Amino acid sequence: MSLISPPDQQRLRDAFAEMTNSVRLLFFTQALGCETCPEARQILDELPPLSDKITIEEVNFVLDADGVKRYGIDRVPSIALVGRDEAGVDRDSRIRFAGAPSGYEFSSLIHAVLLVGGRPSGLSEEQRQRLASVDRPIVMQVFTTPT
Amino acid sequence: MAFASSHITAVAVEATEFPDLARRYRVSAVPKTVVNEEHEILGALPPDAFIEQTLSAVSAAKTPVPTDSTQ
Repeated sequence: MSLISPPDQQRLRDAFAEMTNSVRLLFFTQALGCETCPEARQILDELPPLSDKITIEEVNFVLDADGVKRYGIDRVPSIALVGRDEAGVDRDSRIRFAGAPSGYEFSSLIHAVLLVGGRPSGLSEEQRQRLASVDRPIVMQVFTTPT
Repeated sequence: MAFASSHITAVAVEATEFPDLARRYRVSAVPKTVVNEEHEILGALPPDAFIEQTLSAVSAAKTPVPTDSTQ
């Protein structure tokens, strides 16, 4: 049974229909010792049926050291969002989720998917320019809770 | 913001799932944003204020102290 109600599924389908880029959700997981990995996977599995532009790719946190390092993942479950434009070129969004994306995190995930999928960010030109001037690495950890 | 700059990484962390991180960064209310592991932004701010606080936190932290080699 789906975790998402049929009306919400339709809303998501409509929203995803606007996407111009494909979005790959890299799901970092491990078989043992990860209590919320199955829940995270279950939530993610809800999305591809709603859009042919969304794919889930599972990455083994224990075995795939290259993938883990490349995307800077340090715990499971984690999700990395990678955009793929119409020419098939990948662009890492550098947007990550740590923990199962349930509750409020689910709507944050949907927003992130739509953003990577090509929806305007809502930032003004001036705000974008300020951010474009950043010349050193910044890692922003945004702590939230599901409720 | 991560989307607007190739230098910025944004991680949404589920605080209850990772109590070690919540403890390390003294998360007692959400949302709380930790910039480069040391600067805190509490609550949800409008975009201008959020960008401002992020950029000023980083420039304050990482700007090297000018040294004058002649002294």
